[in-house]
Amino acid sequence: MSQTDTTETRANRTDSQPVSTTAGETVEETRTEWTTYEAAGETKLAVDALDVHYGADHALKGVSMDIPEESVTALIGPSGCGKSTFLRCLNRMNDRIRAADVDGRVELDGENIYQDGIDLVELRKRIGMVFQSPNPFPKSIRENVSYGPRKHGDIQTGLLARLTGREESDREETLVERSLERAALWDEVSDRLDDNALGLSGGQQQRLCIARCLAVDPEVILMDEPASALDPIATSKIEDLIEDLAEDYTVVVVTHSMQQAARVSDQTAVFLTGGELVEYDDTEKIFENPESQRVEDYISGKFG
Amino acid sequence: MSRATQTALVRDDRTLYEAVAGLAVGCSGVAFLTGLAALLDLLSIDDLVAGLELSVVLGVVVLGLGVSVVGFGLTSRLGYVETEAQPSAGLVASAAFTGIWVAIGMAISGVAGLPTAGQLGIGAILGAAAFATTALPREDIGSTLPAGVVAGFCGLALVSGVVGPGLEQGLAGYNATLFGDTVVPAVVLLASLVTGWSAANAYGGFGARGRNIAAYVLIYLVVGSILAVLVGLVAFVTAKGLPGLFNGFGVGGAGLLRWPFLTNGAGLLADTAGVFPALLGTVWLVIGAVLFAVPTGVGAAVFLSEYAEEGRFTGAVEVATNGLWSTPSIVFGLFGAAFLIPRFGNQKSLIAGMLTLGFMLLPLVLITSREAILAVPDEYRDASAALGVSKWQTIRSVVLPAAIPGVTTGVILGVGRIAGETAPILLTMGGGVLPAKSAAPNVLGGFQLSASPPFVSNPALLEATSALPYQLYALITAGLSGNIQNPQEYAWGLALTLLLVVLVFYAIGITTRYYFRRKLHQ
Repeated sequence: MSQTDTTETRANRTDSQPVSTTAGETVEETRTEWTTYEAAGETKLAVDALDVHYGADHALKGVSMDIPEESVTALIGPSGCGKSTFLRCLNRMNDRIRAADVDGRVELDGENIYQDGIDLVELRKRIGMVFQSPNPFPKSIRENVSYGPRKHGDIQTGLLARLTGREESDREETLVERSLERAALWDEVSDRLDDNALGLSGGQQQRLCIARCLAVDPEVILMDEPASALDPIATSKIEDLIEDLAEDYTVVVVTHSMQQAARVSDQTAVFLTGGELVEYDDTEKIFENPESQRVEDYISGKFG
Repeated sequence: MSRATQTALVRDDRTLYEAVAGLAVGCSGVAFLTGLAALLDLLSIDDLVAGLELSVVLGVVVLGLGVSVVGFGLTSRLGYVETEAQPSAGLVASAAFTGIWVAIGMAISGVAGLPTAGQLGIGAILGAAAFATTALPREDIGSTLPAGVVAGFCGLALVSGVVGPGLEQGLAGYNATLFGDTVVPAVVLLASLVTGWSAANAYGGFGARGRNIAAYVLIYLVVGSILAVLVGLVAFVTAKGLPGLFNGFGVGGAGLLRWPFLTNGAGLLADTAGVFPALLGTVWLVIGAVLFAVPTGVGAAVFLSEYAEEGRFTGAVEVATNGLWSTPSIVFGLFGAAFLIPRFGNQKSLIAGMLTLGFMLLPLVLITSREAILAVPDEYRDASAALGVSKWQTIRSVVLPAAIPGVTTGVILGVGRIAGETAPILLTMGGGVLPAKSAAPNVLGGFQLSASPPFVSNPALLEATSALPYQLYALITAGLSGNIQNPQEYAWGLALTLLLVVLVFYAIGITTRYYFRRKLHQ
């Protein structure tokens, strides 16, 4: 009798542990040690006490984390938890939303990107971004890839360059080929570089967007649910690509799919509703033995 | 079978009934088109068809349609054919037949000379009767009997000649007379529209399917009449204008094409009078207006949609632009006359006309460009910004190219309007009624360099110039006279030329839009 009783009591206690985030109920305390994580390798991006408000809405609450270079960092969490907001803070894309108000520090190689006088063009050249739905420009595949370098004046093309003999179509060809190869798209499109990019399939378009981002030669690549609009085969290609890219680039990827995070990432940060970072650790640790009860519930599918 | 009333998925019965009803729909359509043709003067109602006047033949057809429509209803009601008739024909049909019968009642009593009160009384009685006949019985009677009676009544009136080619009915209080060649087609149109609807209803076996088919027939007939008006108008102008346009047309001495109407002026020395000066005037006018309005309009649209913060200012600009677009053209003309003319040599000039029409074109270009720019997906802007490309570069290389088809649509619509404007040209550009070839604007060859500012001048821009719509207007107000042979033919040729010039500008615009769309999507 006593044996069963104890077990039941214990089980009851586990069930009734305060884990809900609904207002009025007690919320599990977030502990700082769950989010302090010393990754192997140099820190590329250091985020310190980052707060974001959209008007009255407090979207991110004091997030601090260090992102190591040449690795894949996954950001997971339920919808509306602020993980995309966090990602968009890393290359200051939130500046484009008028109501967004960002406080805190984000350091790229030790330099705060939220200080006055920061050159957004340089910043975004160093930190590239790939969006949720593939968004190639309605231009040819070649123009899509060389768009960034052309606009930055790194490659001279066009009528004036041709007339003055400064055209660098060889360099452009090399760059386009290298970027497309790096994005694992070259073999599929090498014979139709002048076709419109909108004629590609969704998965090809997304890899084209990655190639377009690689063409500017960034150090960090931010990906906002890059495979959520794609079919399983295209998704697995993108995932292979992400792992491959992590050899040379620092990749930060927001994802809805926990399997994807588990497959591709080295470390995982879990954001939960309310815009707080709850736990940040090695991916294996997060998925096998998380510290936070809420994270465990989320990962096992009980919540979110 | 447990359910006796079960509907079969595949209908293979009722074929004779459907065939007859389909035939009636077809006859109604033919009668409708014949009525339209007669209304547009393509057919004459007193022509003889099989020994009878066309109006009488149409009357017989309409009468037959009326009888057969009633027959469809009775056949269904008495159970000879199984249909899905609903308990009532519905409120809309009832209201429509009430309206028709009120009108018929008032028209008849008016012709009979009853006072207003009497007309209203008769209209009300007939209307009430029609409403009751439509709304109260089952659908197969309700949607055929009133229609059949309308058609039968119209048919009898036509056959008996009460409404015929010779009809002349004065309208008391309107100081106008209705003639048979208008009334007969109108009566035929009304009757065939009603029988077509009703027969289509019967063809579909009443109920939801019948109403669906009936609605299609109505819509097709209405679309047909709109197309007929359009085609009729263009055909009318073309038929009248062709002799003038091709007057003297042929291959000349050196194997060159001779087209004197388009290449000659209208001076005393010209062997065949032509519209060259006005044609060139219109072309330059449109080019000038587009050159002025497109850069300013697109620039303003870029500012409003990309740079300005959405708020009271943009709202005010939007209201002002919409208001400007609906401002009457004569007001623009007055503005041009009072503001531009004193600033350009104090006389009517080509450049004053260009700018006035440019002002008119500006709001439409602004509105459509703004909409086109707003329709460019934000994903493009985000993608470009994430690559570190500046805002202006993004607008120039991504946003504007994607917006070009929309902008072109605006310009096409605007050019169609301004190319035919008469009032602003009348006040700002002037030009002769029958300008000689020497009066044609020589804009390209007119540029002159000088040693003092502004270094470049172009007297051609500062001269009064004629344009096609203005010349047409001036010819008509001058009583179609002048030192030319056959001014009537000349004026119609002029009208056709104007129509063609507008169509050519349309074609250019549509080709441009097509080209850019292809470039964006293929």
